[in-house]
This record gives sequence, C-alpha cells and structure tokens, in this order.
Amino acid sequence: MSTDTAIRALRRARPRSRFLRATLLAALSLAAWSLLRVAAGSEEFLSARQRANLGRFFADARPAPLAGRDFDAGVAARWAGEVLSSRGLPAAAATLGIAAAAAVLAALLGLLFALPAARTLWTPSPWLAPTGPPGRAVRFAFGATGSLARALLALLRGLPDYALAFLLVAAVGPVPWAAVLALALPNAGVLGRLFAETAENLPPAAPAALRAGGAGRMAIAVAVLLPAALPRLLLYFFYRFDTCVRGATVLGMLGIFSLGYCFEEARARHRTDELLLLVAVAAVLTLLLDALSAAARSAVRRS
Amino acid sequence: MGRDGQLRRPLPGVRTVVCLALLAGGLAAAAGLGLFSGGGGRPGGLGAIGDFLAHAVHPSLVSEAPAPFGGGSLLPDLLAGVRETVVFAAAGLALAMLLGLPLGLLGSSALSADGGSRAGRTVRTGLRLLARGFASAVRSVHELVWAVLFLAALGRSDAAAVAALALPYAGNIAKVFAELIDEAPRAAGLALRAAGAPAAPAFAIGVLPRLFPDLVSFLFYEFECLLRSSAVLGFFGFPTLGYLLAGSFENLYHGEVWTYLFALLALLLLVEGTGAAVRRRLGP
Repeated sequence: MSTDTAIRALRRARPRSRFLRATLLAALSLAAWSLLRVAAGSEEFLSARQRANLGRFFADARPAPLAGRDFDAGVAARWAGEVLSSRGLPAAAATLGIAAAAAVLAALLGLLFALPAARTLWTPSPWLAPTGPPGRAVRFAFGATGSLARALLALLRGLPDYALAFLLVAAVGPVPWAAVLALALPNAGVLGRLFAETAENLPPAAPAALRAGGAGRMAIAVAVLLPAALPRLLLYFFYRFDTCVRGATVLGMLGIFSLGYCFEEARARHRTDELLLLVAVAAVLTLLLDALSAAARSAVRRS
Repeated sequence: MGRDGQLRRPLPGVRTVVCLALLAGGLAAAAGLGLFSGGGGRPGGLGAIGDFLAHAVHPSLVSEAPAPFGGGSLLPDLLAGVRETVVFAAAGLALAMLLGLPLGLLGSSALSADGGSRAGRTVRTGLRLLARGFASAVRSVHELVWAVLFLAALGRSDAAAVAALALPYAGNIAKVFAELIDEAPRAAGLALRAAGAPAAPAFAIGVLPRLFPDLVSFLFYEFECLLRSSAVLGFFGFPTLGYLLAGSFENLYHGEVWTYLFALLALLLLVEGTGAAVRRRLGP
C-alpha cells in the first residue's frame, strides 16, 4: 500500500500548467468543431452526383488513344511519350528553373536582411561591453532598424506565395518573374529569420576577438559569421528549395508556364488522362529533387 | 559551426563547391527563363504594384466598391473569412494527424526493433517500407494539386477540399514523426523492454516523452502552413480568406487586400506565439 501512496503523492506533485491544459482543451474543441462544421456543410460522402463524377473521372483517366479498345502497351507508351515531349519535359524544366532562381534569390535577400535582424550583430557595440555610453539616438536607430527588419521578415513569411503571384500576374502578366518573385519573397522571410537566428546562436568568442581587434560589423559577418554558419545555412537552403519546387509547380495554375500551367490546360480540355500523367511527372520531379537535396544536406553535414 | 558548438576552420571543398554550384545554377536558371532580357512583362503593371504597396500603410476596414455597393463595413466578411480559414485548416490538421501519426509510427523503426520470427520481421519491414512510400507519395503532390484532382474527380465539396489539404500534411507528419522516433534516445525504452515491459507501454513511456516537445512544436508549425494553404484554397472558390482576397485583387481594392493579408498575418503570429509559449512550458 505504501508504494501506492507514494505513487499517488508523486502524481499529485507532478508539474502542471494551467496554460497547457487550456491550450489542449482549446485545440481539441477547435478540431472537433471544425470537423463537424465541414461535415455538416458537405453533402453525404459519395453522393449520387459524386459517384457519377467519379465514374466519369476514371473513365477519362484511360489514355485517349485507348478509348474503347483493349489495352495496348505500345499505343499507351507512344501517347505518354508524345505528352511528355510536347509538354511534360519542357514544363518540368521551367518548373525547375523557376524554383532554382527563386531559391537563390531568396537566399541572397535572406542573407541581406539577416544582418539587421540578428540581435547580437545589430547593436551599437556588438559582442563587447561599450567603451563609452552610446548616444540615445544611436541606440534608438539600431533598435528601430532591427525591429523593422524583423517585422518585414515576418510580413514576408506570412504572405502566401499563391496570393502574391496572383497580384503579380494581374499587374505584369504571366511572366516567369512573377513566379520567381512570388516564391523568393516569402522564402526570403523564412531564410532571413533562420539566418538571423543562426547568427545569434553562434558562440561569441570569435566575433568578440575580432571586434576587440577593431573589426567592423561587415568584417565580422563575412569573416566569422558566414563561414561558421554556412553548413546550417545550406541545410535551410535545401529545405526551402524543396518548397520552391512544389510552389513553382502550383503557381503555373495562374498562367505562368510550368507544370501547373499544363495541369490547368489539360483540365480545361477535360483531358483527365493527360492531367494525371502530368501530375505524376510533377510528383516524380519532387521526389527526385527531395532525394538530391537530402544527398546534398548529408554531404554538407559530413563536410 | 560543428554540432559540438565549436568553431571550425572554414573548409574549402564540399561547401565551396556547393555554394558556387548553387549560384551558377540560380544564374543559369534566371538566364534560361529570360529574366535578364525583357522577361519583365508589361512595365505599365508596375504602377499597380506601387499602388498595392502604398496601401500597406492604410488598409481599409470599409468596402472600397463604388457608391451604391461600397462604404459598408468589411468586418462581417473579414470575420467569416477568418473563421472559415481556421475551420478548413483545423479540420485538415485533425485529419492529417489521424492519418499521419499512425503512418509515422508504422514507418519508424519502433515496430521492427527487436526479434520475433523471421516471417514477422519480413512483414514488419514490408509494412515500414509501404508506410514510408505512401507518405512520400502523398507528400510529393502539392495540396492545391490534390485540390484540383479532387475537384475534377468529385466536383466541388468542402469535405474533399479538407481531404486535399490533409493528404500532403499527413505525409509530412508521418515523415517527421518517424524521423523523431528514429532519432530519439533509445536507452530508456530498451531498459523497460529488458525488464519485461510489453512493446507498447515501453514505447509510450520510454520513447514518446523524449520527442513529445519537438512533435508539438512541429505540429504548431504545420498548423501555420495549413492556415496559409487554407487561405489560398479560397482562390478556388472555397469560402476562406483567399476568396475575399481574389475578389478585392481583381477590383484593385488594395486597401481591402491588405486588411485580409494583415488578418492572415495576425492569425499566423497568434499560432506562432502560442506554439512558442507551449514549447517553453514543455521543457527542452
């Protein structure tokens, strides 16, 4: 019995947090309410209309040259080759190009913004006790620009790439720049914040030593922060590159040439067979680049 | 910086090569897309972008439509849009967790760690590969592409839209949960097993608590991403913030656009803040 009492005493003494319980309760109620609301707002699952739609969808999924005929691998392969060479592969190349340009632009912008956003770097006297009292105006200027940079990064992170691309396409037309900018800006927000946090979490010894030797902010950033943080920065970069590939596919649905453009075009012509083949191309492209970026990440980690 | 927190000498070699290759790749891609040579589209459109950016400092809380329709408060629309965005995202996350967490457990090494018969091991390994393959497959298709496919297959349906949101996120959750399990310290779980505990309690008591804080942070992050995706779903006609955004964009009511964007941003910051507060209280 005494073990039981001890266990009960231990249980009573466990750390409890009212905040955590309230959050858990709120999360569970939100989930239940949302599921019920969606269920109530939808017709019954697989209603007659949906069954009819589904039947048509799967009938159309059969490659068009095979309609009403027995399956013939040769015909199917010729059809797939034609779709791939006329649309699939050029669109996959365009998707890849948009993603690469956007990810590199995002990394460059992120690096630029990370400097004022890093709290350890962007102060009147980084890493060293101030020799004299810095003026109030100087401290305010650093504080204000730093906060502004962090707020700007948060704003960029919050912008949905699709909404941004919608605006850019409406303004300048469906050109690749619209997709590149729409992907680069939100990702610059993500990378800028991660870069700034990496810079803040570096051990202070080396920058302090350089600072004591008279180095300025930029010298420290280039000579210490960048090389020390580079592996971490590259890891983040590759994660975002994966996101950019998925994003570049989808932004095509707004009329910019990429895989998404071909999805919309196939859908508009009610060519379900081509739509599914092109979605499969997008999936394979994503999986290949995931594998490539995983390999690059592990190479960087080992280096 | 190495994982041990020591500064290392910056090595030439892999990192330099990777960095240069990335820059070259980015430049080549930009040149290939014609970004440097008149790829800028209609230059007249820059005025619209300027007008859009100028409205960032004065979002509008009243409708900007011309006289007979405009002038009314935007608040009812805004609140409904925010509510529906949250509903779609929360329902999507709930479904994604229901599917993704068991899938992650199946895909981790937790179930195939110890002995049993050879046939049993083969079955477990097969299940693990199947779970991982399924998670990768659903992850490799973007949620909006799933939405397009579901729209084409089923017609418009809120439940189908939520399922489209849930599928790739279930894949994400499965992948990360499996990785967290595989990377968690095993000692406590193994000790419990050695002392005779069955596999399930040994896992729940010996392994799960160590990865729980990281899992919760990750789920909050996924909820942020889902909120953004759920908002964008509105561009396809669902009643979330994107629906309002698209309408205001098309009419060039840029003050309204910023109101909706700031509402989404506030929602994201709220989730991020709650996630950080929860993470602090859950410990390291």
